[in-house]
Amino acid sequence: MQYVIIGNGIAGVNAAEAIRRMDPDGRILMIGDEPLLPYCRPMISMVLEGSVPLAKLPIRPASFYDDCKIEPILGNRVTGLDVDAGRVDVNGKRVAYDKLLIAAGADPRPIRAEGLGLGNIAYMRTEAHVRRMLAALDGGARRALVLGGGLVGFKAAYGLMCRGLAVTMLIRSGYPLSMQVDAFAGGMILDTLTAHGLDVRVDIAAEVFEGKDTVEAARLSDGSRLDCDLVVIGKGVLPALDFVPRDRIEVDLGLVVDLFLQTSAPNVYAAGDAAESIDVARQTRWVNAIWPEAAAQGKVAGINMAGRTVPYERSLSRNVIRIFDLDVMTAGVVDPQMITGTEVITRFDPATRRYRQLVFQEDRLVGMTLVNAIEQGGVLMALIQNRIPVAGRRERLLAPGFNYRAVA
Amino acid sequence: MKQVVVHPERCVGCMQCQVACAVAHSEAKQLVPALFESPRPRSRIHVGAGQYNEGFPNRCRHCDPAPCLLACLPGAITRVADTATVMINVDTCINCASCAMACPFGVIRYHEDRSAQAGKTVAVKCDNCLARQREGGIPACVETCLSGALTFETLDAAYKRQTDAVARSVSALAAAEDLAPGWALLNAHKKARLELLTSPAPSDE
Ligand SMILES: Cc1cc2nc3c(=O)[nH]c(=O)nc-3n(C[C@H](O)[C@H](O)[C@H](O)COP(=O)(O)OP(=O)(O)OC[C@H]3O[C@@H](n4cnc5c(N)ncnc54)[C@H](O)[C@@H]3O)c2cc1C
Repeated sequence: MQYVIIGNGIAGVNAAEAIRRMDPDGRILMIGDEPLLPYCRPMISMVLEGSVPLAKLPIRPASFYDDCKIEPILGNRVTGLDVDAGRVDVNGKRVAYDKLLIAAGADPRPIRAEGLGLGNIAYMRTEAHVRRMLAALDGGARRALVLGGGLVGFKAAYGLMCRGLAVTMLIRSGYPLSMQVDAFAGGMILDTLTAHGLDVRVDIAAEVFEGKDTVEAARLSDGSRLDCDLVVIGKGVLPALDFVPRDRIEVDLGLVVDLFLQTSAPNVYAAGDAAESIDVARQTRWVNAIWPEAAAQGKVAGINMAGRTVPYERSLSRNVIRIFDLDVMTAGVVDPQMITGTEVITRFDPATRRYRQLVFQEDRLVGMTLVNAIEQGGVLMALIQNRIPVAGRRERLLAPGFNYRAVA
Repeated sequence: MKQVVVHPERCVGCMQCQVACAVAHSEAKQLVPALFESPRPRSRIHVGAGQYNEGFPNRCRHCDPAPCLLACLPGAITRVADTATVMINVDTCINCASCAMACPFGVIRYHEDRSAQAGKTVAVKCDNCLARQREGGIPACVETCLSGALTFETLDAAYKRQTDAVARSVSALAAAEDLAPGWALLNAHKKARLELLTSPAPSDE
């Protein structure tokens, strides 16, 4: 059996390990664009912030490829996929597969503006990107402009603030992380960031970047001009599916997969940021581009590829973030308007700055936003992810700690 | 291989396991000097209250597969072969709380610990007292538990005991066998009393 895995991110790695456990003899080829050991992508923001050194990024030992008997093909992108012949094209070579996993992850969503070719303008997705940003810091960057207030834009802004830069962030909604948290928690985050000096501007875009070799200023859509010597673009991501023949495989935003993480093409599977499966809370197809999803999906995809039929029905958006003195944990539906028939309960304690919003649909918990006292949030997450009917008094769940037996 | 088995119906909420756990993870291994250590030794077992305020000794289940292990960003969580123990490497841990989000039992806490670099906040949870076990001991929480809510036995033995008890209780000869002698009565009493109260207070731990 010849397995080909596109992507050596966490989805690809978990798939390879699962396959190897079940099929000691099959041939596993892993094609990855980044010529590195598997590393922790979310941690590049901690490298930027200065709390984790670059050397700590790898999440597998140097012997990983050998240990799992994986043949790595690194440093180039797959450029073509022929689902009839069962082969992919990489660097002018054709690689045949019996089972293919597309775990190509996502690329930063490009923006349109003039002057994007200047130095010190960076996306933040890869180890190489963060190296470039560190070089800009070494070069003495003092004033940063961050485009976007999603997870990546927010983390870039936070990291650069921790490094002592003056940071301006341009966002579309009234508060950062609007996809991850509800408006109240978003307000708490915004207040904390501004109290620490972040300059936030709403509903403004950067149109032109100016400078000699490196960026020196940005012209904004409100006509103003902003001095900056480092620009980070964090306007979301798009599944990296350039090589996928869309007339042969069903692609929505991501590769559409069934319960077994199989795409519409035979013997082709997808997992992680590239895949679109049914979201537990929304009960509709969704790309949940987060680390724990990629890890879990990769593992289940690998098991299915190796021949055991295992469904994956747990896709759920979720995140946990620590910034300054705030701990934020969210999962599922954070905006109750997003689905119908929701009921919301909240509690805020100004003294401890603890906040909870819980979103119910009928007898199920479908969403949570927690600020502070997050240690036992995993219990709520489990209620959402396993669709467990909540029988007891719902208000009990607003307490920071509780017993699972008290509710389900 | 022996494991800690929790029998919540027997827990009386005395919290002695918490004390024993904190002491077992202290430098001194004795209560009084442990109280003066910095960082203060803390328990990794957490006695919470169930629906009727009955005790519930909540500790890491060392799940297999372990959701925390899969979710850990820096790869700090591993399974120690042959001990049925999921361990956190405090040097690799980055205190991101991804494991808190993944743990369906809510048993991971974040604070300084003697095992970690001074001043570093890390994820802390039950380690099955592997250090004590290596020296021939058993987990401290089990050793101290007098009500039998925590036992250290092979899962086969635990299952068999439970199966036998259930079998006896449904056999024609047994009237109503008490699966947790004594404690069931206590719990029934607590339950009856609490049902009188309109709104039982949710617990904080
Ligand atoms: C700054 C930052 C912070 C983040 N923070 C968090 C967080 O706190 N929590 C969280 O849950 N998630 C976070 N994420 C998201 C998380 O990193 C991703 O969800 C996760 O890495 C997805 O894993 P993956 O394996 O699906 O894809 P990826 O990690 O993107 O890996 C895919 C790999 O495939 C390669 N590739 C792409 N196309 C091809 C091709 N055609 N041929 C060959 N190789 C190809 C890519 O170069 C890449 O190396 C963060 C992301 C970033 C960038």
